[in-house]
Amino acid sequence: MDPRPVEPQELDAITRRERRRQLRAALGGLAEILIALVIGLGVGALVMRGAGYNWRLAYEGLLIGSFGDQWAIADTLASATPLILTGLVFGLSARAGYFNIGAQGQMVVGALAAVAVGAHLSAPPVVAVTLAFLASALAGAIWALPPAFLKATRGVHEVISTIMFNWIAHYTALYLVFNVLNDPRSAERTVRVLPGARLGALIPGADMTAAIFVAVGVAVFMYWLLWHSPWGYEMRIAGLNPSALRYAGANPLWSVNLTFILAGLAAGLAGATQIIGRPPTYALYGDLSNVRNLGFDGIAVALIGRNHPLGIILAAIFIGAMGAGARMMQIMAGVPLDMVRIVHGTVIIALAAPEAWTLLGKFLGRARARRAPAPPAPAKTVHR
Amino acid sequence: MRKGTILLAALLVAVLAFSVSALAQGSLAIVYDVGGRGDLSFNDMAALGGDRAVRELGVRLTEVESASTADFLPNLRALARSRQHDLIVGVGFLIQDAMAQVAEEFPNQKFALIDGFVDAPNVMSISFADHEGSALVGALAAITALEYGGDTVGIVLGIEIPILLRFEIGYRAGVRWAVDRYNQIYGTNKQVRVLHTYTGAFDDPARGKTATDAMLGQGATVVYAVAGATGLGVFESVESVARAQGKVVGPPFAIGVDSAQDWISPGFIPVSMVKRVDNGVFEAIKRALEGTFQGGAVTLRLAEGGVAASTIEMVELFFDEAIAAGAKTAEDKAAAMAGVRAARAAVPQLAWDLLDELDRLIRSGEYVVPEALDRDTAEYWRGVLSTY
Repeated sequence: MDPRPVEPQELDAITRRERRRQLRAALGGLAEILIALVIGLGVGALVMRGAGYNWRLAYEGLLIGSFGDQWAIADTLASATPLILTGLVFGLSARAGYFNIGAQGQMVVGALAAVAVGAHLSAPPVVAVTLAFLASALAGAIWALPPAFLKATRGVHEVISTIMFNWIAHYTALYLVFNVLNDPRSAERTVRVLPGARLGALIPGADMTAAIFVAVGVAVFMYWLLWHSPWGYEMRIAGLNPSALRYAGANPLWSVNLTFILAGLAAGLAGATQIIGRPPTYALYGDLSNVRNLGFDGIAVALIGRNHPLGIILAAIFIGAMGAGARMMQIMAGVPLDMVRIVHGTVIIALAAPEAWTLLGKFLGRARARRAPAPPAPAKTVHR
Repeated sequence: MRKGTILLAALLVAVLAFSVSALAQGSLAIVYDVGGRGDLSFNDMAALGGDRAVRELGVRLTEVESASTADFLPNLRALARSRQHDLIVGVGFLIQDAMAQVAEEFPNQKFALIDGFVDAPNVMSISFADHEGSALVGALAAITALEYGGDTVGIVLGIEIPILLRFEIGYRAGVRWAVDRYNQIYGTNKQVRVLHTYTGAFDDPARGKTATDAMLGQGATVVYAVAGATGLGVFESVESVARAQGKVVGPPFAIGVDSAQDWISPGFIPVSMVKRVDNGVFEAIKRALEGTFQGGAVTLRLAEGGVAASTIEMVELFFDEAIAAGAKTAEDKAAAMAGVRAARAAVPQLAWDLLDELDRLIRSGEYVVPEALDRDTAEYWRGVLSTY
């Protein structure tokens, strides 16, 4: 006998209930963000007041410096550009169940590749830019492979391996900057990329270049991949329940590699944006200070953006605005940079805390689940 | 109606008077290097010059630190765009590219660049005769090593930029001059070798410490720190190695740079190569306010007070600055100054005498310190100065 057909009213009711649930969840998320923002800014204001600075003027500076005029907005977006990409690295990996903090190293390698290709390959502008981007994406992906293989074949935890690869990249870069890619006339940095490989400022007087479109494009691609493609479905299932995926016959090696490679591509591109997409130097500094911390800032961006590609764009713009606003906090309110960083830190922690809490719970829960099915221990256990 | 007009006129006059007074007062903006404030060295010296301009010229001071090299350009632009500053000073060689660009975008804004060169009519490029000052401390280092039975001195540097090559070669020249003079006095045939390390960073004390540990391990008696905040690691290394041998006064010794850093490790820093960045900043804003500002390169030499070997009075001055900044308390001062005096006393008198002699010779032009601003020249002088 056929199952009872669903009455139209009943279907309506179900849809309505579902819609209401979604709306409630969205509003709840929004409220969470607002409350976190208020708490973060409030604590920041208290800290500034305690240290004797005018916090109202400082926040006014933050706003003016980040969104006050067309240049400020462009500077905000310029600062957001690499953060969108490094945020995607952590966000995508977290969706697939990995704690991938290798963005920093992969980005550094990407930056090196952009310098190597951009400075030595003379080609027409569009070709040169494309090749530099491709080279850095490839370099970032290659740098992500060893941790992925170690994870898939030997079970080495990605936190350990990616941290180690970050340092290997760091010191390799220092060596290359001073000994191979060095500019003999300016030893503090590498050679500059050729004019053909440089992206110019979109608005004269600000640093934003077309690199922002690359970053947003990659974010949109990741969104499509995660929610509208079979590969993304597999990745998300892996993140939610890895044993279910194995049970369904998927190859874990393939899943790990795909995630890490895609994340590595984004990280490599982030490095390129700082080399060919950021006036005026178009080179990598010897202390790596033009790519410093961008990979780690990406973790905060991903957490604030709830590991969702579109959320990550907004979060990166937010963090970029904090960076761009920092100068006016200093100029208008005389708040020193260290104090500005404390304020930024409190706001970022407040915003990232809910997601970090959820992620932590998930990882701990999984660890517990791994331990649980072990056979009951015999009365006498040998402790090692 | 009439009342309103009068009120408006009064308001206008008030606004005008206010803006005129603001203009007469003058305004100075300083953009610091990535190392930033609190390096007890290069950037803090620039800040000292700014503070002096506030005190003596009554200018308003705006300070901006840069979180990364990518911030130099937007920081300079934000200041230039406000049109509120008579002079914008960029501190440090790394800011050079950004300043060249901004100087072109804002041709009516006056700029000063410390330790770099921008070829523009609105940029005053201020540099210092680092090689002359480094030669002085090199002479002291060499004689100290010889008198304590050593034959090695070291120099730990930041990034291998042209200016640091100038420090290194100046130091080597001072060492060589002093050893030759020593052999001439005593009729001996001694040699001193100079170890050098470019750490690749101005803000990483850990790397400074590692490099210095290695040099002390190779028998260096004195290590010259030319690396901004990285140099703090040099002091830490020298002090911890000495203290491990139960000493409260060197050898080994460290030599400070840029500001009179002698008080940072009392007992172990007998002298610093003081680079009067403060005078450079002060001079630039003074000229901008007087209307005598001119673009182009200005080098402040030893004879003009641009560089100097630190004196006990300078050390006290900088210690007072540290107290004012809250980094130190007045109670610390007596103990620290006692340590500074002990370190100076532990350096052989001959070393001080030869330092003074070389100072006179450089001032009078009888001894010209070789200057290297590129790798090839530096390599040439390394060879010439170390072949006995």
